[in-house]
Amino acid sequence: MSTSIPPSRRNSPRHRTELTRHQHPLDRVVSFTPKRKRAGAGAVSRPVRQPGRSQTEPLVRPSRFRLLLVWFILTLGGLGLTINLFRLQVVQAPMLRERAQEQQILHLLPFVPRRPIIDRLGNVLAIDQPVFTLYAHPILFKVPLQTVADQLAPLLQRPASALVSQFSQAESGILLNEAVSEDVTEKILDLQLDGLELIKHQQRLYPQQSLFANVVGYVNVDRDGQVGVEASHEEQLERSLSAMQLRRMGNGAIVPENVPDELLHQDDLRLQLTLDSRLQRTTQVVLHRQMEHYGAKRGTVMVMDVHTGEMLAFVSQPTFDPNQYYESDTDFLGNWAVSDLYEPGSTFKPINVAIALEAGAVQPNDSFNDEGRITIGGWPIQNSDFNEHGGRGTLSIREILKYSSNVGMVRIMQQMDAATYYNWMEKLGIGESTQIDLPAETVGQMKSVEQFTSASIEPATTAFGQGFSLTPIQLLQLHGAIANGGKLVTPHVARGLVNTNGQLQWQPDLPEARSLFSLQTTQTVLDMMETAVQEGTGKSARIPGYRIAGKTGTAQKASPDGGYLASARITSFVGTFPVDTPRYTILVVIDEPQGEDAYGSTVAAPIAKAVMEALITLEQILPSQPISQESVATDSNETEPDSAQMDQSYLEEPSYEEPLYEEPLYEEPLYEEPIADPEVDEAAPEAMEYDTETQW
Amino acid sequence: MLKQNVSRIRWRFLTAPWQEADWFLLLLVLGLTVLGSLMIRSVGLNQDWIDWRQHWIIGVVGVLLALAIAQWRYEVMLRWHWLIYGITNLLLLAVMVVGTTELGAQRWITIGGFNIQPSEFAKVGLIITLASLIQKRLISSVAQVARILAVAAVPWVLVFLQPDLGTSLVFGAITFGMLYWGNMNPGWLVLLFSPLISAILFSASLHVWFVWVGIVGIVAWRSLPWRLVGTISATTINLIAGGIGHLLWELLHDYQRDRLILFLDPHRDPLGGGYHLIQSRIAIGAGQLFGQGLNQGTQTQLNFIPEQHTDFIFSAIGEELGFVGALVVLLIFWLVCLRLVIIAQNAKDNFGSLLAIGVLSMLVFQVLVNIGMTVGLAPVAGIPLPWLSYGRSALLTNFIAIGLVESVYNYRKRLKF
Repeated sequence: MSTSIPPSRRNSPRHRTELTRHQHPLDRVVSFTPKRKRAGAGAVSRPVRQPGRSQTEPLVRPSRFRLLLVWFILTLGGLGLTINLFRLQVVQAPMLRERAQEQQILHLLPFVPRRPIIDRLGNVLAIDQPVFTLYAHPILFKVPLQTVADQLAPLLQRPASALVSQFSQAESGILLNEAVSEDVTEKILDLQLDGLELIKHQQRLYPQQSLFANVVGYVNVDRDGQVGVEASHEEQLERSLSAMQLRRMGNGAIVPENVPDELLHQDDLRLQLTLDSRLQRTTQVVLHRQMEHYGAKRGTVMVMDVHTGEMLAFVSQPTFDPNQYYESDTDFLGNWAVSDLYEPGSTFKPINVAIALEAGAVQPNDSFNDEGRITIGGWPIQNSDFNEHGGRGTLSIREILKYSSNVGMVRIMQQMDAATYYNWMEKLGIGESTQIDLPAETVGQMKSVEQFTSASIEPATTAFGQGFSLTPIQLLQLHGAIANGGKLVTPHVARGLVNTNGQLQWQPDLPEARSLFSLQTTQTVLDMMETAVQEGTGKSARIPGYRIAGKTGTAQKASPDGGYLASARITSFVGTFPVDTPRYTILVVIDEPQGEDAYGSTVAAPIAKAVMEALITLEQILPSQPISQESVATDSNETEPDSAQMDQSYLEEPSYEEPLYEEPLYEEPLYEEPIADPEVDEAAPEAMEYDTETQW
Repeated sequence: MLKQNVSRIRWRFLTAPWQEADWFLLLLVLGLTVLGSLMIRSVGLNQDWIDWRQHWIIGVVGVLLALAIAQWRYEVMLRWHWLIYGITNLLLLAVMVVGTTELGAQRWITIGGFNIQPSEFAKVGLIITLASLIQKRLISSVAQVARILAVAAVPWVLVFLQPDLGTSLVFGAITFGMLYWGNMNPGWLVLLFSPLISAILFSASLHVWFVWVGIVGIVAWRSLPWRLVGTISATTINLIAGGIGHLLWELLHDYQRDRLILFLDPHRDPLGGGYHLIQSRIAIGAGQLFGQGLNQGTQTQLNFIPEQHTDFIFSAIGEELGFVGALVVLLIFWLVCLRLVIIAQNAKDNFGSLLAIGVLSMLVFQVLVNIGMTVGLAPVAGIPLPWLSYGRSALLTNFIAIGLVESVYNYRKRLKF
């Protein structure tokens, strides 16, 4: 039981040698024990001795050298670890912490799809779809270049030889295709080739191509909305991306507690537009054909629900394919109906009538003398058909609108003083935005109040829609007020965010409709506009059985250098129907149609008619009058004996395969433009003078 | 005043069995255990693990066990050391027969619902056995060394065959540490290690290997009893070792081989064997100077490091407590080592001294290799960090070892009442 080294061994030469070599027989007392303690312990343990134990029992005590070696190892180990900890936790710490964060935080930014955009029926107008960028790293190929190329060639629809030459350009990182679809990606993966890399990303797809391009817009490579709803509703389409930093576990799983609520709740929301793709498509086809026929520069057709301001169709031409926006002329990327100004011309006359009635300056049954040609403030003003018809004499307001008499309009508006008239123009919002939810809206332009009140020509030209400018969308808004009983609603294209059940989760905050006119006034004006369609310039928009109010317009274009361009004109038609319970207002504007027969009545009104017919079908609007009424309208039409026949032919052929009209039905009055009448070749010298010298 | 005396007497009466115990050492070890359970809890927070409670329970059991052993005379074991040796080997054999296989190795046997890892308890068994053998006679002959090695080889081989490379290395460390303290010629130690070093150098650099063989020859000449024969055989063995090193390499399991070399360049296999090492270094580095705070370490909480509640607990400490916390842990271990050396120096007999050194060897090796592994100095060897890593058998073993050492210190005086 006792520990001992046999004396014989201890005294053996070898053992002695060992001890002497190190000069170091081991002390009982070791320096590491504090002296005080040792003394105390000795004192305590002194009294009784155990007799059985040998006092001389030798103990294993290492030499100083051995002990030092032990401490050396302990110190070396401790130092080694400390130095390495210092290296990791102080020297490399910033780098390592960055690496830790890199692998722990998942940046979801590129992977969060924008919300889809749908029309009012749920058809997809814009949607994100995953596409893959394909890279090749030939250094990692396990099979010959040629084999890889042969297998990829049919999938990428490129010749294998081209791929081989691309593979030999670099060892790795060769971009083969930026937008490989999911189907093709799966096929590529099935090839099980080493050295190919597919990186997933989202691409915005516009399945309707150019149909909604001017409304929906497009996103650029950075996925920022550029024009249209994509830009104006960026906030609703983007999913709060900045918050998308998620913690990732060691096994790659996302830690659910860190997932922002938005991510969990946003996925099924889609931005619904008020547009109806069926109506939009019909409208686009009709507009496109008519523009081609007349070689027009651009055109727009808008259909608005007059009670809500919802746009049901909104087509602007020329347009672009948002899937390949980069191949389009940058001038075509916007929506000119919102961003460009024009002088509305005759289509503004009903608004003026409403102003005069509402202000009490005239009564509905008042009559005015139409001299056919007058001079105001030294400037000649004449009706466009002056050369043909001369002065028409006494006309009611209804007749002034029916014949689109410029002089008559001047006479009506002269019943108001210029300052009041100007106030009314301001009240309409000319010079202000309509607040439509499309970007880049331009505000209309008007003369200053001083100019307007001091020069009598200003209120006179304004009376027939010239001398100021506004956007087509603003004119639509104003006519919407005539249609809906006097309220200025905000035109808009976004209905709101809906979930998959079709429930609205977010709605645009629209300004409250402002009241402009009384119901009585608007009914009177609508009634007069109905006459204009039934009997006057708008006859080519008539649809048997339906009551339609409307007004054509043909205006000369203002030259950028001042004055008017002699040959360039803007033809337009604005219509509201059904007049019994007004619901839709349609504005058609065609810019620079070519040909002698290009007028609001020939170019624009037939488009409006076609669109209204489509609306009737789509919305299943029942006729309010017997069809035979149409003949009554034909009878009363004295100026265009052939128009009834044309209407008939149009009814027989409702498809839009062929040009809608071969020849003009009616010449649009142009106050200073004598060539408006196709039968009159020579221009009025006064008018030409006016054109070139006026600097409005 | 009288009352004061009474209470003092009572206190002394209560603590009488441990009057001479090393309370400071016990406190250090207790501190490590508490820290260990805090870290294990932190590591398991996001996994809903409750291992830390087990760590607490085993910790309490361990302290009680250590105190029980401390007031019990360690010399008694001298009578039973062959029995202890026998039980140790039997348990290791049992693992091979009825053990639970995990990660391609047999580690556990289940007794009464408890998973027991005999290789852990075998460490203490080996320490007691070797201390008993060496204390009889200081190491002075090659034959003695051979005998000790033969005794140690039985459990070593059994553990190696499980296969548990890490624990077998700990056995080696214990054996060599105790041989060294048992007065073995340091030159022999060099000779014992020389074939391994030759094998490594042979494949690293032939020139260095050749120089090394020369050095071995000189050491053999100076330290071996039969100079000529010894020198020639030592040199020959080293020359052959270079060649058969490759053969031995082939004998290792794939994962062992990877573990052994990947620490040099973990980025060679960043998603495979190098993953632990890379993630551990990132975690420790991310801790920076003061750490990210307890339960706040992102690497730790997001479970980037596999096995972090066991072998890689130190990377959690490094991340959550920072450089300062890691240094405190190192300091505690260093103080434990200091106490163990002092206890070895002050033991009343060779047996006690050798026991303390055996425990010291075990702890130093485990701490160096484990922490070295987490900071990139050592390969992944599957060695737990004493008192900090989760592992009930290991924790209990460490407390038993400390209990033995406390007993050595408690009874360091030859003369008792």
